[in-house]
Amino acid sequence: MKSYTQIPPGTQILIGRAARRRRVLERAICSVFEGWSYEEIIPPIFDYYDVFAKGWGQEEQIYRFIDREGNILALRPEFTSLVAKTVATRLASLPKPIRLYYSGEVLRFEQPKGGRQREFAQIGIEHYGSTGKTADVEILLVAVETFQRLGIQSFQINLGSVDFFGGIVDRMELPKEQIDALKEVLNIKDQPGLEALLRNLPLEDRRKKILRAVPHLTGGRSVIDEARSLVKNSRSVEALDHLEQIYSIFESVDLAQHLTIDLGEIRGFDYYTGILFRAYVRGLGFDVAGGGRYDGLPAAFGEDVPAVGFSFSLDRLEQIVTPSLDSADFESTVETESDYKKALQLRKEGKAVKLCL
Amino acid sequence: MLVIALCKGRFLEPSLDLLARTGIRFSEDVASSRKLIFESEDNRHRVFLVKPADVPTYVEYGAADVGIAGRDVLLETRADVLQPLDLKFGYCKIAVAGPRTASISPPTIRIATKYPRITMDYYNARSIPVEIIPLSGSIELAPLIGLADRIVDVVETGRTLKENGLEILEVIAETTARLLINRAGYQTKREEVRSLIQALEKVVA
Repeated sequence: MKSYTQIPPGTQILIGRAARRRRVLERAICSVFEGWSYEEIIPPIFDYYDVFAKGWGQEEQIYRFIDREGNILALRPEFTSLVAKTVATRLASLPKPIRLYYSGEVLRFEQPKGGRQREFAQIGIEHYGSTGKTADVEILLVAVETFQRLGIQSFQINLGSVDFFGGIVDRMELPKEQIDALKEVLNIKDQPGLEALLRNLPLEDRRKKILRAVPHLTGGRSVIDEARSLVKNSRSVEALDHLEQIYSIFESVDLAQHLTIDLGEIRGFDYYTGILFRAYVRGLGFDVAGGGRYDGLPAAFGEDVPAVGFSFSLDRLEQIVTPSLDSADFESTVETESDYKKALQLRKEGKAVKLCL
Repeated sequence: MLVIALCKGRFLEPSLDLLARTGIRFSEDVASSRKLIFESEDNRHRVFLVKPADVPTYVEYGAADVGIAGRDVLLETRADVLQPLDLKFGYCKIAVAGPRTASISPPTIRIATKYPRITMDYYNARSIPVEIIPLSGSIELAPLIGLADRIVDVVETGRTLKENGLEILEVIAETTARLLINRAGYQTKREEVRSLIQALEKVVA
């Protein structure tokens, strides 16, 4: 038996102020979500393994177990597949759009490092039933307001699209291993690695030029123009049109300074189908939020509904946000000797008491 | 302020030299000082020195925005950092080496190494079962005294191997110094990071 002082790697215990900070943050964020007409969904902490294997895919990171009837179950590694399944089944007949938010712990078997825990708190929204820019813009605006509500000024949302890169590699007709190898080097902007791959790929120079440009296509509006000069395939061009529309809307509401177009952002789970984004805050080494569009996900559970959403990491936000922890409910705590009558009276009056024993 | 993590040891001089050529200079002698943190003359950069294997960790966590480290430690730590530039010094091979006199191969080859992950990945990809013996130095010694059948290590000139009766059997990868960048810093300190990359790109070209 290990020492009882130690808790399993990647878990944590929040006590007192730390726990209160978690709740204050959570409450502040929920009120933003509710302000945009999102309703809470509290899904179970475990579900059938297939739900996550099909919806999320990262099978090696899922904690699974077998119940006494032989069902294979899994602890939720994220919320999106759970919510998508619910929308595709229980809520299939509801009028669209459906706006839902969630907050809770998720569990993943990961090496606890680089800001990653095995148990961590996610809080996020999902918007079902709308394609196109309106819903995309809506969730981005909710993300922006979340940062603002928490008093974070220097945040940056990096917006990309799987379709931009998808359109480029569609035309190249490369085997999957080679596309994965390309993604791997582009994901870390590894130029020497990219050159080494390109030497062995049977591609025209024009296409190699596009791939070389991808890691650098990040910045403001000019990035979209630059990308337009490189690609002609319709999938990539439509992705650029879409990003440009979103960018224009952000300009029109004076929020473009928080938006960065990042066409080199090709990470993310396989379920993403359109925009995808990550948000960063100056002074923190990791992204604090991420999301995107996953139109195919509800269809995997039987109902073809477009979907877009994001989640924030509460654990990471806690590293940069210090909310006021003064309890607003009570002006002061009245200390009283073991006079239970008086204590009960004070409580009726709405005062906080601390019994001195 | 851009925070830069550098390796102590043989990478330090060439790293400082590269930075100096981009205009990042220090009034103190970084290489011989016992201090660990230094401010640049322009007060826009802060450099600190750590063990080579730790540089990727500092950058991944954002304790440093930028770092310089060998590709070998990146492959070994699998740190999730951006790696945009080959800085073209510190060239080595990561290689499997063993005694020149070929012996009968045992059922499970024992391999001593500072790079257990790289070694495991390499042999897994070839479906060869191996037993890895992690060591932190003097790897060449292991086959000489019967601790291991082979070693996996970085080889610069091959002289140490030769003097110990070992030779390269297979080359796993090549490694040089790389520029590492924290993902968040790349976005939130865009201009500073970008101008450093461009300046370094010019001086290594």
